[in-house]
Amino acid sequence: MSAHTTTTADVHGHVDTDHIHGHDHHHEPTWMETYIFSTDHKTIAKQFLITGMFWGIVGGLLSVLFRLQLGWPNDTFPFLETFLGKWAEGGKISNEFYLAMVTMHGTILVFFVLTGGLSGTFANLLIPYQIGARDMASGFINMLSYWFFFAASIVLFTSFFVQTGPASGGWTAYPPLNGMRDIAINKGSGLGFDLWALAMTFFIISSLLGGLNYVATILNLRTKGMGMMKLPLTIWAFMFTAILGILSFPALLAGVALLEFDRLLGTSFYLNMIVVNGHLLDYRGGSPILFQHLFWFLGHPEVYIIILPAMGIVSEVLSVHSRKPIFGYRAMVVSIMAIVVISFLVWAHHMFVTGLNPNLAAVFVLFTLLIAVPSAIKVFNWIGTIWKGSIRLTVPMLFAIGFVSMFISGGLTGLMLGNSPIDIQLHDTYFVVAHFHIVMGVAAFFGMFAGVYHWFPRFYGRFMNDTLGYIHFYVTLIGGYAIFFPMHFMTGLPRRYYTFANFETFNNFNFLTQFISVAAIVVFLAQLIFVVNFFYSIFKGRKVDVERTEGEHTYGNPWEGTTLEWTAPIERIHGNWAGEIPSVYRWPYDYSVNDKPYISQNTPLAPGEVEHT
Amino acid sequence: MLAFVTFALIVLFFTVLVLIGKTNELSEDIAGKGMNYDAKSKWNGYMLLGFVIAFFISIVYQVKLLAPIMIPKSASYHGEKTDNLFYVTLFFMTIVFILTQFALFYFAYRYNQSKNKKAYFYSHNNKLEVIWTVIPAIVLAVLVVMGMRVWFQIFDVESRDKNALVVEVTAKQFQWMARYPGADGKFGHRILDTAHITPTNELGIDWTDPNSHDDFWSDKLVFIKGKPVLVKLGALDVIHSFYLPHFRVKMDCVPGIPTQFYFTPKYTTEEMRDYLKTLPWWNTINPETGEPRWKTFKYELACTEICGRSHYGMQKEVVVVKDQAEYDEWMKKQSPIYVAPKAEGTATDSTAAPATAATDSTSKETAKTGKPVAELVKK
Ligand code: HEM
Ligand SMILES: [Cu+2]
Ligand SMILES: [Cu+2]
Repeated sequence: MSAHTTTTADVHGHVDTDHIHGHDHHHEPTWMETYIFSTDHKTIAKQFLITGMFWGIVGGLLSVLFRLQLGWPNDTFPFLETFLGKWAEGGKISNEFYLAMVTMHGTILVFFVLTGGLSGTFANLLIPYQIGARDMASGFINMLSYWFFFAASIVLFTSFFVQTGPASGGWTAYPPLNGMRDIAINKGSGLGFDLWALAMTFFIISSLLGGLNYVATILNLRTKGMGMMKLPLTIWAFMFTAILGILSFPALLAGVALLEFDRLLGTSFYLNMIVVNGHLLDYRGGSPILFQHLFWFLGHPEVYIIILPAMGIVSEVLSVHSRKPIFGYRAMVVSIMAIVVISFLVWAHHMFVTGLNPNLAAVFVLFTLLIAVPSAIKVFNWIGTIWKGSIRLTVPMLFAIGFVSMFISGGLTGLMLGNSPIDIQLHDTYFVVAHFHIVMGVAAFFGMFAGVYHWFPRFYGRFMNDTLGYIHFYVTLIGGYAIFFPMHFMTGLPRRYYTFANFETFNNFNFLTQFISVAAIVVFLAQLIFVVNFFYSIFKGRKVDVERTEGEHTYGNPWEGTTLEWTAPIERIHGNWAGEIPSVYRWPYDYSVNDKPYISQNTPLAPGEVEHT
Repeated sequence: MLAFVTFALIVLFFTVLVLIGKTNELSEDIAGKGMNYDAKSKWNGYMLLGFVIAFFISIVYQVKLLAPIMIPKSASYHGEKTDNLFYVTLFFMTIVFILTQFALFYFAYRYNQSKNKKAYFYSHNNKLEVIWTVIPAIVLAVLVVMGMRVWFQIFDVESRDKNALVVEVTAKQFQWMARYPGADGKFGHRILDTAHITPTNELGIDWTDPNSHDDFWSDKLVFIKGKPVLVKLGALDVIHSFYLPHFRVKMDCVPGIPTQFYFTPKYTTEEMRDYLKTLPWWNTINPETGEPRWKTFKYELACTEICGRSHYGMQKEVVVVKDQAEYDEWMKKQSPIYVAPKAEGTATDSTAAPATAATDSTSKETAKTGKPVAELVKK
């Protein structure tokens, strides 16, 4: 591999000699180093993506299974016994396993798919490419981040196979249900929960290692000319996501550590005056509510850890495919910052009816509704972005539009939940389920899909198939709403119920739960179309058009984007750019300006051109 | 065999899809329109426009179909205020929802590449951005103020009626234990130590306290119309949540930390039935009972904090009677928890009385889910 390719006219800047000449005298990386223990951000991104997809399928499958129970509580499904054995005797999912599935579904989707899979994939892929860096600040730490994620995945997966089953006390892991190692109280609170805690510990370590690396890279390795206000919004989003994670995940780690002390060492951090079977246990002085504070101190920022990267991706995709600059770039950056700050001050809105001091609740109401302001600004700016665009309705663009739609629908219901007197009725009911699945679940998935379809050419030099993509989009959009929109009408029906048959009050929605279950199965199948498309396109997808060839590298800009990732060769090479790293002269949103369809960030200002600020 | 056929069908289905996808791609490439999104933008524009219209229509349909089935109007006074807040918020939300969703999909249609060849370079507009920051901020401020007024009314301890009916509800896996103070209106003390908390006296009631002697367990929660209720809440084993959907009451029951909720029932069970009788959906026949739905209507207590395998089974009936007289009548029929010791021994013996809750809601679970009660109740 020759490293001495000539640089193109518009590529200037410093030469990273270490990488340029590196290949000549370093040893050839072995297969293991290239594909398994790789320190290359592009490979690590793929590892996160594939692992995330695996978890997505597992998590989705769990939801299909528990939807069978919810939709047809009186029927049996013999094939379930074949697969699940004692958990579904006679083809009926047991109430214990139902809760285990709900718990694991939540844990998997929130942490392993939408945090690990989403941030891990796109922060890794895009940070070096878009800021103009050869790789992450520390490739090794980056690799560790993935392997801790992998270890977490193995531990969590193992927990499905232990005798007493996986954790089953909810993804929020509240004690005392999860706080005592007593399988008589809750089967999943045995070994299953210890494995959950271990998996979460590895996961948090992974997330911290990754996050520190992202921040360090963005702050230090930007190429010449890449001032902070020239960063694409993706990068701003990844940076603030990482900061949010670094500051909030330790609270959960501490919370889970103390929980394990209670469970394994008999301490009483969260336990007080517990009576089981008429026997007063020895725990004194702890507070179950303390855990909820620690959990939600992470838990709320966590939902923004999930949505901010999706927002970044969507901002970018909307702009590129509308052929228009993002509307209100500065306002977008400021609202990301505002969201990050405020999201640390709203956690107790998950705890309005725990017996929290009503005065304290008032503070949290105020901040919770306040956070809707920056969220609203972002929505208006996205709509402003597509206004008067010349919109190419590509698959990633459709998903980005779908994201905005979902974010609006789900965000608005947050205003009801965030107002504590209304939340008295809504808390822990299907209304909450509707809210967060729309605003976070489906929306974040849409952001992720937009990202995968958009940057697939960057990953593999090929496109994903459009026809399959369109089918995937419409089924998911319509199906997503079909599943979650009607749940708003199930206001007042408690969540995490195995059946509603015991209640006169809740027993009127049987036809609806069935409808929702059918929609859920259809949507799940549609995701398999995506998976098939993904793997098929890696090998057979349409190739990116080659615009020019230099040396042994080819160049092309599949979506006509301005950002730096498209200035690198179509081939994914170690160090990203064959010659010098491009320097940056302009902001990332010069679309349809100066009579050009787009102007790359590495194009110097034309004589007399005023820099956009 | 069936599994194999299903599997083969699924594989076939995906293969066909992939083939269709590939064929489309090839024919585009042959026509030289590989990366030209003109035609695709055109039909997707129509799809998106169609979607948003269909979406709005479906919402209207959902409201018509589902709103009548929802939990009916509030049966408590504070609940009317929280419901009202819900609708005020819903009003603002609906406006924003319609405007933004429509703009989003309409712009996607109107400005798609086939209709608008040249994008308009327009990067910001400070005035506009200030406007759409300030307006939501004002609306939200209004909502916060309205919300907090109701909130502090609900939790205003000072203004509470000292003569409220007090009921003590203690949750455990998987039942509710409701203790009433009896005719004297006073609960017997509880002493929370291992000497007093025993399998037959899980609450640790102090039988030497004479106030305890007329305390009784109730299999139902009985409240009086118009008379404030203070529910004192607790839990033995794990967190549960005391939820009266019709009264808009919810409060967690936390082991080791007492909580409470104060509210006033507005309609008796009978009055609520009479009201529901006027609504068409409530007059339809419930296939399970063969009767019009309003006839079997009842208030219920449910658990809304995940508490273990039978979380969904923690049901208890709630009855609102019309006045004190009816309540007293009912109270007379209840038998106290305390059983006077037979022998000449004094009532100081803390094990004198069996204090296990009289009712076991888990028996309901059995009927409906076909599990033996014993299995569900035993730990
Ligand atoms: C627009 C502003 C938003 C407001 C005012 C808001 C408010 C709330 C409130 C008050 C709750 C607690 C409801 C309850 O349990 O009673 C809640 C739950 C939740 N929200 Fe939001 N939310 C907003 C946006 C979001 C976003 C953007 C996400 C994620 C991306 C999100 C994810 C969640 C999740 C996951 C839960 C439920 C957690 C659980 O109980 O399992 N929310 N939201
Ligand atoms: Cu939150
Ligand atoms: Cu419970």
